[in-house]
Amino acid sequence: MNSQASETTNISISASQARDNSDRMPMRMEDEKIKIHVNDLNLYYGNDQALKGINMLIPEKRVTAFIGPSGCGKSTLLRCFNRMNDLVDICRIEGQILMDGENIYDRNVDVAELRRNVGMVFQKPNPFPKSIYENVAYGLRLQGVNSKRVLDEVVERSLRAAALWDEVKDRLDDNAFGMSGGQQQRLVIARAVAIEPEVILLDEPASALDPISTLKIEELINELKNEYTIVIVTHNMQQAARVSDYTAFMYMGDLIEFGDTDTLFTKPEKQQTEDYITGRYG
Amino acid sequence: MNDTVTPAVPPSIRSRSLLPDTEARQKLRRKRARRDKTSRWGITIAGYGVVFALAMIFIYLFYEVMPILKGATVTPQATYNLPVQDAGLQRFLIERYEELGIQYTDDGRVTFFDADNGEIRSQFELPIPEETEITSFAHTEAIGAVTAQGLSNGQAIISRHAFDLSFPVDRRVITPKMEFPFGEEPITVDPAGMALEHLAIETVTRGRGGSLMAAITADNRLILTHLETRSNMMTGETTVATRHAEIDTVPEQPVKMLLDKALRSLFIADQSGFIYYYDVSDLNNPRLVDRYDAGQGSAITAIDFLVGTVSLIIGTESGELSQWFLVRDEQNINSLVRIRDFKAHGAAITNIAPEYTRKGFLAVDAAGHLGVHYGTSARTLFLEQKANTALIGVAISQVNNRILLLDANNQIQAAGLWNRHPQLSFSALWNKVWYEGRANPEYIWQSSSASDEFESKFSLVPLSVGTLKAAFYAMLFAMPLAIAGAIYTAYFMTPKLRGVVKPSIEIMEALPTVILGFLAGLWLAPFAEDNLPAVFSFFILMPVMMLLFAFIWTKLPIRKMIPDGWEAALLAPVILIFGYLCVVASPWIEIWFFNGSMRQWFTDIGITYDQRNALIVGIAMGFAVIPTIFSIAEDAVFTVPKHLTQGSLALGATRWQTVMGVVIPTASPGIFSAVMMGFGRAVGETMIVLMATGNSPVVNFNIFEGMRTLSANIAVELPETAVGSSHFRVLFLAALVLLALTFVVNTIAEIIRQRLRARYSNL
Repeated sequence: MNSQASETTNISISASQARDNSDRMPMRMEDEKIKIHVNDLNLYYGNDQALKGINMLIPEKRVTAFIGPSGCGKSTLLRCFNRMNDLVDICRIEGQILMDGENIYDRNVDVAELRRNVGMVFQKPNPFPKSIYENVAYGLRLQGVNSKRVLDEVVERSLRAAALWDEVKDRLDDNAFGMSGGQQQRLVIARAVAIEPEVILLDEPASALDPISTLKIEELINELKNEYTIVIVTHNMQQAARVSDYTAFMYMGDLIEFGDTDTLFTKPEKQQTEDYITGRYG
Repeated sequence: MNDTVTPAVPPSIRSRSLLPDTEARQKLRRKRARRDKTSRWGITIAGYGVVFALAMIFIYLFYEVMPILKGATVTPQATYNLPVQDAGLQRFLIERYEELGIQYTDDGRVTFFDADNGEIRSQFELPIPEETEITSFAHTEAIGAVTAQGLSNGQAIISRHAFDLSFPVDRRVITPKMEFPFGEEPITVDPAGMALEHLAIETVTRGRGGSLMAAITADNRLILTHLETRSNMMTGETTVATRHAEIDTVPEQPVKMLLDKALRSLFIADQSGFIYYYDVSDLNNPRLVDRYDAGQGSAITAIDFLVGTVSLIIGTESGELSQWFLVRDEQNINSLVRIRDFKAHGAAITNIAPEYTRKGFLAVDAAGHLGVHYGTSARTLFLEQKANTALIGVAISQVNNRILLLDANNQIQAAGLWNRHPQLSFSALWNKVWYEGRANPEYIWQSSSASDEFESKFSLVPLSVGTLKAAFYAMLFAMPLAIAGAIYTAYFMTPKLRGVVKPSIEIMEALPTVILGFLAGLWLAPFAEDNLPAVFSFFILMPVMMLLFAFIWTKLPIRKMIPDGWEAALLAPVILIFGYLCVVASPWIEIWFFNGSMRQWFTDIGITYDQRNALIVGIAMGFAVIPTIFSIAEDAVFTVPKHLTQGSLALGATRWQTVMGVVIPTASPGIFSAVMMGFGRAVGETMIVLMATGNSPVVNFNIFEGMRTLSANIAVELPETAVGSSHFRVLFLAALVLLALTFVVNTIAEIIRQRLRARYSNL
């Protein structure tokens, strides 16, 4: 294992360089306002346990990244935050997820409202077969907003927030499928932003994109975190290091290690974390 | 952690390739290329084969339909002199076997001659009393073959030519003979004994029988004579009872008199172009009803009845030909109406010969033209100059294959005639046609009857309307159920239930439609008639009931025990119980609101109610169509990508919002094609409409009346029609229309589907 140490250092350095470049103080969980508490969360798909006793804090207006090898449960955990797992019939959940102190799995919670509050962006860009304008306006129309003036304003603001306005302002009525993959993904982010959520969940948002589009998405995440609490699942450790303030490493349904990104990448406390970030497996 | 690292491959294995050697791979490549080629050719041939087969079906249908577009052809066969030229010609005919011509002359001779060369075969002399001469001539409708010779003493001789067929040495020999239905003694028409200047006769063979004669005498009296034969049972002797009547009003210069077969109407044409219409149904009170200006300034030069003696064909001096018949108005008063005009000849019409079994006629004119016309379709099938002088006589055989033309030089031209499908024309098929005996032009399909005098009514409009009507009501029933069911099944239903429901509905598709039709016609139709309120309350109140149940369900505490997606199973007993209640309550509803019978109530407020109606067909054919629509639409909804629905849900949409906002628009091409497939099926469906519609070819969209569809019509009538007849060909035309209809519908559907698909192509 020691023979790999130098490599580890290299990655750590690049990660800390990314941090340094962002010109900010090192993060400390104690200073953060916590948006989401995850308490003893167990999740089963039928008889298989996919998440095992997860305890975790998601700080407000920060970017939290989930990393880990395929099948480790990071996407499953992410989907717990807006109850997308409800759509899976055989899925069963124990434990609590508190958002602003309220358990989102409480019986009285309106799932649609929860999801309005917790936006989500998927791995594959999934614009609806509608115009660009209607894609962004969709969420608002769901909320009963039909005033052209309001919609116009929100669409422009959301597209600007997603750094897409200048590219599409002249073709808002074109079908969203005419856009490039990166544009589509930013459109989907604009769509999520339009309904003013507090939390945005990003499920490997750049994995289907080319490097330049990826870069744009990452820049966008950096912008968005001033306004929103962001949770991102990524396979790409560099990406996690570049965009996140906090990182959680998961393995086989367990949360192995969770801490501020600098520390996790430079001085991981667990052997498994170290092995993963140095590329032993994954 | 090391277990995830792939162990190094031993060098011994790595160095040896496990692939087949070069030669074997080359062989495989050739094999693959051969297979590629074979399959490419196979698929191409099969594809073109399908197109070819479809094209052949079209071509075959066209081939069978084509003859109806052809006009008539006349093939000259022989020319010879009129056999008897020393006496005035009265009438000129050709018999059924087209071998003999018949010539009546005004000296009382009847001459039968060879139609091929004019040789006289036999000649008869009518028993004219001495010191009298023939002053007028009349004949009944040609098929009756009765002629009357009016005499100068006010009497008339009534005779009939007939033929004996014998087959010595296996060859047909036709022996003509003359018969005297009222005896050889002349019948007294004018008791005053004045010469009969004009004469008309008609005999009724059906019913009570009898003959009516009308005559205008030399002193200008109009006399009616009714003849009835009675045979003495004991002696076998036949006695003739005559009755006479006189009419006051007599036209100035009569040209021709015609009596109809019902012995009710007498028409007299005069030289000024007027037609006088007399009602002679009551011999005690015969009267002039009205006179009509048929010639409009031009004299009437020829007039005759079409077969059936309902329509008059009037030819004028200026060459115009028009069809007239009596139309009864709302006050039950008949008036003679000009129905249609035929292509004008351009010269005075000299003679008209009606066909024996159809509503067609031949007309010849003073410029030597022969015209072949047809009444119902208003077609002129042939109009050509056949002689350099005037043509003065024309005769057509009973089977419409041979004609004889007589010109002013007493030359007879025998000619073959091909005129198979005069009844059909675009206007006869698709426009309103004024048929004999109808008050107005109408769309009617009535292809056959027991009588030769029947006018075939080949309007395709009732059938096309019926087809669309049946399809419309079936779609009205099936579309909401199938599409809503498909959306629910694909999107809301639990997979377990879906696994039962979907195959069950798809199996419905395999249900033979004859069973559905049978059930609809023999069980549902009478049931619905007896329980009309049940049917309506079911349709109207069931949705209300469902919503009510849904509302109550949300309030029930046991709700949490049953997971989402089982709503359909919960609803089943509700529907069954409510349906049962509807049936039970039906008689009470009838008593309370509809005076005891809803069906009667409909009739009272003026809505026609047939037992086999569009409602029944809508339900039965709806059932046949539902599986088609459901299956395709369900697949379309089910294959809407999960990432789209999840994207919508993640934006805070409810499931219903997701369905309306994302699922349905995305699945719309599939749903659309499902609907079009269903429509195509409904249009082409035969057995159900055959058994449950009543097959009445009406032109309306009343849900309580039946219809006849193109497909059912073909199924009903094709086995009964003569191969090659006009009726046969018009059925092929109906098939072609049906094929074209489905072809057009499917093509439009495909174009729209392609467009929709292009819109949603990146999915």
